[in-house]
Amino acid sequence: MSARSAASFAAAALAAVTTVFAAEAEDPTKPVSEFSAGLGYLNNDGRRFGQYSGMNEKGGYLLLDLFLNRRDDATGTWTQLWGRNLGLDSRQLRFEQNRQGNWGYFVEYGRTPRNEPYTVTTAVGGIGTNNVTVPNAPAAGSPYDLKTRRDAIGLGFDKVFSKEWDLKVRFRNEEKEGARLFARGSTGTVPAGFRGNFEFTPEPIDSTTRQLDVILGYTGEKLQLSGGFYGTMFNNRFNQLNITGGSAVLAAPANTAFTPIGLPPDNSSYQLNLSGGYSFTPSTRGTFKLARSSAKQDDAFPSHPAQPVAPGVGGNLGAKVETTLAQAGIVSRPMPRLTLRADLRYEDRDDRTPVLTYFTGTSATSTSDGANEPRSYRTTKGMAEASYLLPYEFRLTGGIDAEEKKRNTSPVRIVSYRATTDEMAYRVELRRSMSETLTGAISYVYSDRDGSAFQTTTLKGGGRGSNLIAPLHLADRERDKVRFSSNWTPTEPLSIQFFVDWADDKYSGRDGSGFGPRKGRAQNYSLDASYRFSDKWLGNAWFNRNDTRAEQATCEAATSAGVCPATAGDPVYRANLRNRSDSLGFGLRGEPSGAWTLGGDLSYSVIKDGYGQLPALPPTSTVPASLPEVRTELTRFNLYAKYALAKNASLRLEYIYDRYKNNDWTWTNFSYVDGTTVSENPNQRVNYLGASYVYRWQ
Amino acid sequence: MVSGTRTLLLRVITLGGLLVLAGVQPLFAQPTPAKESSDQVCKGCHEPFFNSLTVSKHGTKADARAPVNQGGCVACHGAGALEHAGKGGGKGVGGVIGFNSKTVSADVKNGACMTCHQSGKRIHWATSTHASRDVSCSSCHQVHAPHDRTRDKLTQSETCFACHKEQRVQIDRPSRHPIREGLVACSDCHNPHGSASPKMMVRDNVNDTCYTCHMEKRGPFVRTHQPVQEDCSICHNPHGTVAPNLLKARQPFLCQQCHEPTSHRGNVGSLTGTGTTPNAIARGCLNCHTNIHGTNNPANISNERTFRR
Repeated sequence: MSARSAASFAAAALAAVTTVFAAEAEDPTKPVSEFSAGLGYLNNDGRRFGQYSGMNEKGGYLLLDLFLNRRDDATGTWTQLWGRNLGLDSRQLRFEQNRQGNWGYFVEYGRTPRNEPYTVTTAVGGIGTNNVTVPNAPAAGSPYDLKTRRDAIGLGFDKVFSKEWDLKVRFRNEEKEGARLFARGSTGTVPAGFRGNFEFTPEPIDSTTRQLDVILGYTGEKLQLSGGFYGTMFNNRFNQLNITGGSAVLAAPANTAFTPIGLPPDNSSYQLNLSGGYSFTPSTRGTFKLARSSAKQDDAFPSHPAQPVAPGVGGNLGAKVETTLAQAGIVSRPMPRLTLRADLRYEDRDDRTPVLTYFTGTSATSTSDGANEPRSYRTTKGMAEASYLLPYEFRLTGGIDAEEKKRNTSPVRIVSYRATTDEMAYRVELRRSMSETLTGAISYVYSDRDGSAFQTTTLKGGGRGSNLIAPLHLADRERDKVRFSSNWTPTEPLSIQFFVDWADDKYSGRDGSGFGPRKGRAQNYSLDASYRFSDKWLGNAWFNRNDTRAEQATCEAATSAGVCPATAGDPVYRANLRNRSDSLGFGLRGEPSGAWTLGGDLSYSVIKDGYGQLPALPPTSTVPASLPEVRTELTRFNLYAKYALAKNASLRLEYIYDRYKNNDWTWTNFSYVDGTTVSENPNQRVNYLGASYVYRWQ
Repeated sequence: MVSGTRTLLLRVITLGGLLVLAGVQPLFAQPTPAKESSDQVCKGCHEPFFNSLTVSKHGTKADARAPVNQGGCVACHGAGALEHAGKGGGKGVGGVIGFNSKTVSADVKNGACMTCHQSGKRIHWATSTHASRDVSCSSCHQVHAPHDRTRDKLTQSETCFACHKEQRVQIDRPSRHPIREGLVACSDCHNPHGSASPKMMVRDNVNDTCYTCHMEKRGPFVRTHQPVQEDCSICHNPHGTVAPNLLKARQPFLCQQCHEPTSHRGNVGSLTGTGTTPNAIARGCLNCHTNIHGTNNPANISNERTFRR
């Protein structure tokens, strides 16, 4: 059949279908159902384009969507069947029935695919299982597409017992399968032509995640309560990855070989919680939440006959974590123009995992005492805010936020630590929310984080370790933040939005060492405009600049006591990290005639990642081979058209041009010692065309 | 001592707030349901809105709680709608509560909704950041549309991006969640109606929210990585990044923000050389420290603690 004949046949078939289903005018007071079916075609492989949609390979795709919507007016019973992307790997389907105000249930299924954007060329065997075989020497392999699939089934049930009481039950079971990028590695003599003793050992994914929520609700005139049980369970089919073969550096001797590798263990938790709100008066309302959780992890340990565990260590970790949460908030309007708001939150995560010595071979210079390190946290957070309504609908708000976080630690450490951090934030905002022409807000926040003295990092034998860097989340920090937002409607058809976010961080480091995080800056500017040309045409345009910077410092080859050589060969140096993106977009929507609806969007982004590494001491030294900038360009052009064939039928057309351009060097010129390579097409262009027939009925 | 002072201050501030209970002005103006339906009057000028109400859950007559049984249009738009109709209608005429009006306060708009929707996931609304920033229900939801785009995972993010501009561009970064495809929505992690958690997370904290999909990271493990157990967002930006795996920075720079420069940990970021020198290539530091979220391997081997098997 020629192309012309095929087109004629398709047109005739479409006309026939339209005629058969030609229906009366829709009753606007009745629910509408819709079904669409069609075909899509992708002209090229698009690993980024279809990473999650399932449309990642050149070829045709079945387009199927469904929304069945029924209401029995006599009983108020809704029946809905909803499906999206039913012909694709990212299909979603949900059936729901409920008698409004009485009972309801639903069953849903959804798949979330993730196709690894990189192509792996490998000779490693057993991918997707927990027994992989690695060639002993570099071997030529074949392309392998790593991917994962999440298949989730959800069940729900609702029952309204009375005006006050109702019950909700939600259950979700998710199966995740596939394999992902993973590797093993160590130091040692590196074979010629390779960067290191790194071997490709893909992690098998075969796990189940289950969650159950049972919520009993009470709704009174002043008091609302929600009490529930939340249970979770994670089950992994594999608790260890066994590797056979591989280089002598990694595979032998057996008692220290890098096999097996531990995989995520089974774990579970349950929680009892109670949330509520109470309207003390028409102008004062309080809310709260109380919760108690218990989590455990007692999955069997990975094992290897040649790698015995330390004396006293059993068959599992016996981990148990108890968490207590208490939160209360209140908002009140004691005067017509004054609103007060306060909130207090306390969360205690108590890790009660038994502490045992898992490694018995420590020495005086070890940075660990060989024991496991349970992590406990206690966070107390408070907020108070006052807001006053000024003339001309301006509202002035001032507030204080305070957070105290306490952490435990082990006596011997490799990373600097402090037991407590405290952060106070002071903020003020001027907002205008009600105006026909101009609304907006400007706010300023100053916050200061410090805490208890850093504990001296010591070695196992009591000697002083390296004490140079205050970790990012523990370091003293001063932060200034300014936010401006405005919505301006100068004329009826034109509206303009302008937003600015600006934040500046200063880190103090440890005892003035000058190492670790030093400064941070984040700026975001966005300008949006929309214009209504007529009742039938609307256009919009936008621009966004996002610029974040971080400056940090460290040194090469510090001694175990934290003394930096600061030589030309091992300098102290700074890294000025910068990520800057500029994005813009245009859109147009319109109805040129009664039968046609048209629209289109164009967006373009360029993102630059910079890694400026500069020597600090000695200033005359050079930093070898600084990392090149990574530049990413994203372009997407999207057109759609809808043509009404009849009152209840239409033809939908969609065209997408998508381009992903990137010069990321992450995997360039790299090969695992088993010969595996990882690569990506740096310039991916796809054209997609889809056509669907849409039918509506009641 | 500093800590103790702050704790005391924190408690005083909050107790002070708790004492402010006796107010005089309603937080939410309560619309007065009319005794007789004005629906037919409203329909005369606003037929599309009347029809969309009829076809919605608000218009289900078999449900006694539905607005259609609570006075119809005036159940939400207030008794002022009658004055509006009595004066012949027109923009701004009468005391009607217009949900798209820029001169009706968010409190008044939300009061209409909260009359029925104050329970369940919205219990914390009144004390939420959104409520205090004059966000109204109708800022996000389209009550009269046959299909509320905010309740559709495919289009929900467009609503959020009307204010959260930074996230609008982050979701398209090379490393991202499938938000564009509608497989993950903002509301999978955040409860925009308010919650007892920081950042309005749907679960009690950042980690518990991440665990709903990434429960394999929960552990605890024999060998734990401190920031992993504390807060996933110390290392990851869930809205999207250029660095792989939603990491805020590439390696070795990310690791060097916490780790001391002893041994090889302070090495300059490099793509060349061998051993621990090319620390930016491939998986970076994870080339060796592969189980960075923690490992449950109990082997009595020295380098076991460093997440290498």
